[in-house]
Amino acid sequence: MLSSFFLDACGREAAAVVGALDATAAPAVLGLSLPSPTIFAQYFVFAVLLGGIYGLVALGLTMIFGVMDVINFAHGALMVVAMYTVLVFSDATGLSPFFAIPFAVVLLFAFGVAIYRSTIAPIIDAPQENQLIVTFGVLLILVSGVEMIFGADPQQLGLNLGSLELSGVFVPRGQLYALVIALIALSGTWLFLQRTMLGRAIRGTADNRDGAQYVGIDVPRIDALTFGIGAALAGLAGGVIPLFQSFTPALGDQYLINAFVVVVLGGLGSFPGAFVGGLIIGFIQVFGQAYLGGSTYQIVIFLAFILVLLVKPEGLLGGSADE
Amino acid sequence: MSNALSRAVERYGAFRDEWYALPALVAVSLVVLAAMPFLRQLALFGVAPLGWLSLNMLIITLVWATTAQAWNIMSGYTGQFSFGHAAFFGLGAYTTIILTGTFGISPWVGMLLSSVIAAVYGLIIGALTFRYDLEGHYFALATLAFAELLRYVFTNVPQLGGASGFFRPLAREYADGPGLVAFQFTGDLPYYYLILGFLTVVTVVSLAINRSQLGYYLFAIREREQAAAAIGVPTYRYKLLAVAVSAFFTAWPGAFWAMYFNTIRPSTVFDLLVNVEILLPAIVGGVGTVLGPIVGSLIVIPVGEFVRQSFEIPGLNNAVYGAILIAIVLYSPKGVISWPSRFVDLLRARTDLLDDDAA
Repeated sequence: MLSSFFLDACGREAAAVVGALDATAAPAVLGLSLPSPTIFAQYFVFAVLLGGIYGLVALGLTMIFGVMDVINFAHGALMVVAMYTVLVFSDATGLSPFFAIPFAVVLLFAFGVAIYRSTIAPIIDAPQENQLIVTFGVLLILVSGVEMIFGADPQQLGLNLGSLELSGVFVPRGQLYALVIALIALSGTWLFLQRTMLGRAIRGTADNRDGAQYVGIDVPRIDALTFGIGAALAGLAGGVIPLFQSFTPALGDQYLINAFVVVVLGGLGSFPGAFVGGLIIGFIQVFGQAYLGGSTYQIVIFLAFILVLLVKPEGLLGGSADE
Repeated sequence: MSNALSRAVERYGAFRDEWYALPALVAVSLVVLAAMPFLRQLALFGVAPLGWLSLNMLIITLVWATTAQAWNIMSGYTGQFSFGHAAFFGLGAYTTIILTGTFGISPWVGMLLSSVIAAVYGLIIGALTFRYDLEGHYFALATLAFAELLRYVFTNVPQLGGASGFFRPLAREYADGPGLVAFQFTGDLPYYYLILGFLTVVTVVSLAINRSQLGYYLFAIREREQAAAAIGVPTYRYKLLAVAVSAFFTAWPGAFWAMYFNTIRPSTVFDLLVNVEILLPAIVGGVGTVLGPIVGSLIVIPVGEFVRQSFEIPGLNNAVYGAILIAIVLYSPKGVISWPSRFVDLLRARTDLLDDDAA
């Protein structure tokens, strides 16, 4: 029973366990009264990997929020566009999906700038609800568009990356690569914000939009750039998901809702916060799936979310985009 | 400009400033809705312009009109933007069906109990979020979290139906058979007039609030909460009242939904999209107005349902909703309801200009 769980866990089914949506493997372990250290270590690894992916998903969302004070409901839909871009690119060129991911990132950057210019820029000073509604409209159009073209059935790349084994604990390669990419994206974006003039301008705009305008920063241009980078990060997050998980047009919504939780937990606009929040959600989800069954872990996630919203709405590591 | 047109414009301009203008327009639109099942069959020269409207579409339209009208009391009048009204809608549907199906209680009693439960849940949400001064994005996200929370509670508790939800019980299991007492009918027409009755009640409540001191308090809170508090409006208490009233009436169409369709599931009544469908008619028609939710629902829901039912393309209706949402917020944030007045003002300005030139 146990060994079958591990065998499953290192194959594609690991995606199902860690990838959020399926707890079929968990009941196999539920019968045990005490988890052995190996099982615990296995869950720990899964939780860290999933947490890293959540952190990556939340990165673009938190950046747009920190700089522009806009909640981008279309974030999950942009991820979906990236997933299908990777699928089409890989099918069309026959190249490894690792070439498709940068392509998706560049495409999504352009897409993000276009969305900003056509829908966000005209109402950037309107009440916050208006931006929420408009980005939700973009979500509906993008997800429906993908569904109309590709259908609602699950798609997959047909990769089998396998797993590494470290003293009895399996590390699925797909998730591991995704985590590495997430960390590279985090440090790359952080360096860009800290070490370049444009990055300084973005941080200045996040701090004080009016002040930034007074010292000569082209705030609308910074907004367009920020939205583009946010969309590109959504593209990166969406691009790595096919490495370890089958996907549908509806998958974006599931990631989006938890990404909101991650962003608020970590503090809106905070990069390290996104990863801390991601890890918290990753641990709740993996251990919740194993010990509570079903999707009960989502109840725990929302209770934690409401608690943080009420007690410390600025988040555990609250701050602006420059921290 | 022709004289007839300018006279009509003048007359409308005078009419809209009268105190009875709004009640009159509300009455007219409710009468038109009451005639709708017959209007749709009306043929002009052998062509029925509204023939594509099925009774089922009209019922769904009025369901979302009623939810939008209830949402409007909290979010339109008081300015507390809720993105989680699916919580109250779903509570209405689930409480009614559980009480009727499991305990054989009359659906009418079930509906009233469900609206009380929804109001209490609204009070809990309000008490927590207002106490901690959540505003803007944070408030919208918090309401969404409370709705999603319920979705997963109902999905994961087998006694509450689990992921597969409930079937509607047969009318003879708890009553003599289909009829008003059983809240179930054999055809669609009685359902239509029942939901129209719900819409009328909520609209009259909304109109009464709009014209009362309570309404002015709510508007003051929406416009500037601190100033309202400074002149002595107990803002916390009135915001709670608005949430409770809004939640109470959102549960009604939820109960109706459960008694009209064959099944309810967490994925149908608590879905993310339900939150949007509830506020969509109000946004399109005009937030914070009495007529807006009704007019908005008549524009947007039949179009979406028509697209969904006549083309075999899943998702197309959602794309249409998305496009309408974006267009309205970008180009006419006050909603369709503001168009006649904008038109009149535009024409008046042009007439004045012409008069000045002549002088």
